[in-house]
Amino acid sequence: MEAGLIAIGKGIAYGFAAIGPGLGIGIIGGKAVEAMARQPEMAGRLQTTMFIAIAFTEALALLGFVLTFLMG
Amino acid sequence: MEFQELLSEKIAELLHELSVLPFDNMHHEGALAGPAVLTNYTSWLIIAFVAVAVMFLVASNVAKKRLAATEASGNPSELAPAGRFMGMVEFGVEFIREMASDVIGEKDGPKYVPLLATMFFLILISNMFGLIPGGKSFAGSMGGTVALALITWIVFVVIGFKKNGFVGYFKSLIPSGVREMPLAGRLILGGFLFLLEFISTFLIRPLTLSVRLFANMYAGHIVLGIFSAFVMLFWPLVQPALQFSIGGVAVGAVSILFLVIMYAFELFVAFIQAYVFTILTAVYIQSSEHAGDH
Repeated sequence: MEAGLIAIGKGIAYGFAAIGPGLGIGIIGGKAVEAMARQPEMAGRLQTTMFIAIAFTEALALLGFVLTFLMG
Repeated sequence: MEFQELLSEKIAELLHELSVLPFDNMHHEGALAGPAVLTNYTSWLIIAFVAVAVMFLVASNVAKKRLAATEASGNPSELAPAGRFMGMVEFGVEFIREMASDVIGEKDGPKYVPLLATMFFLILISNMFGLIPGGKSFAGSMGGTVALALITWIVFVVIGFKKNGFVGYFKSLIPSGVREMPLAGRLILGGFLFLLEFISTFLIRPLTLSVRLFANMYAGHIVLGIFSAFVMLFWPLVQPALQFSIGGVAVGAVSILFLVIMYAFELFVAFIQAYVFTILTAVYIQSSEHAGDH
């Protein structure tokens, strides 16, 4: 019973933690494509910036992922 | 045996294989004896290290020979990359060098190319080993990625203290606008920002760096393993006792298609994760180098 509840809790915790970063990464990717289409000569620097921004956004989802391990 | 039982057994086996085990006994249960056990992951880490060392040795040897030949004949076209292997290695190193001078700066960038290139090729080659059936990426274990993230952490913290001084580096965590405020604002807002920045710089950075790589490689390995288990169970290759059915064959065919697609995706992830780890290392080094500027 308790193990089942913990498993459900893990799923809920990671699911909710993934909502925000999912939206954020979608916005970052879309805007990066928009910017690259407007100024193709900047594509290299935009890509670098995009990956950095994605990495910072993704951190929130990763904290949720770590939480599932802590819920032992 | 029932299908569901077999599937959960296969998944348990998969997770067991991904845990840290002594390399000579893959069915080990419980805690490892002694601190100096050569584990399965350690041996894959050593293999990856040797592969990177061999690659760099061969590449630098060929490059030296080319350089000598050019100096002897005076013909610069001798410097062109010789063959596919050299072309690949030179492309990779060029890629890292451009990234370093892009992110860290034209002046300081080249200093860090050896560190960044070693990290990039080590993670990339290790991830590629993880895609060979039976092989494992050392990045699929928390221990390996934490060790890599600690190297990055030590490098950027030491650079920060060296460039800005002990007090200067801590001061640079507070934005300059807050530092020019009246005393009350400096104390309250500055203290709060210092706390936030301190946690994000010294604790969250290494945590996310290691967990990102670990989670991606671990999850990728499990996804590939589960699709393989599906194929095995729906096309009863290993357990002939399972029932054979037309529907099962169809599901197995779809699973094998997904397996191939996921394999291609994992190849992409192996590259992207190595790139992201390297570029974040470069960004953190840059933020320590120029901590005083903002």
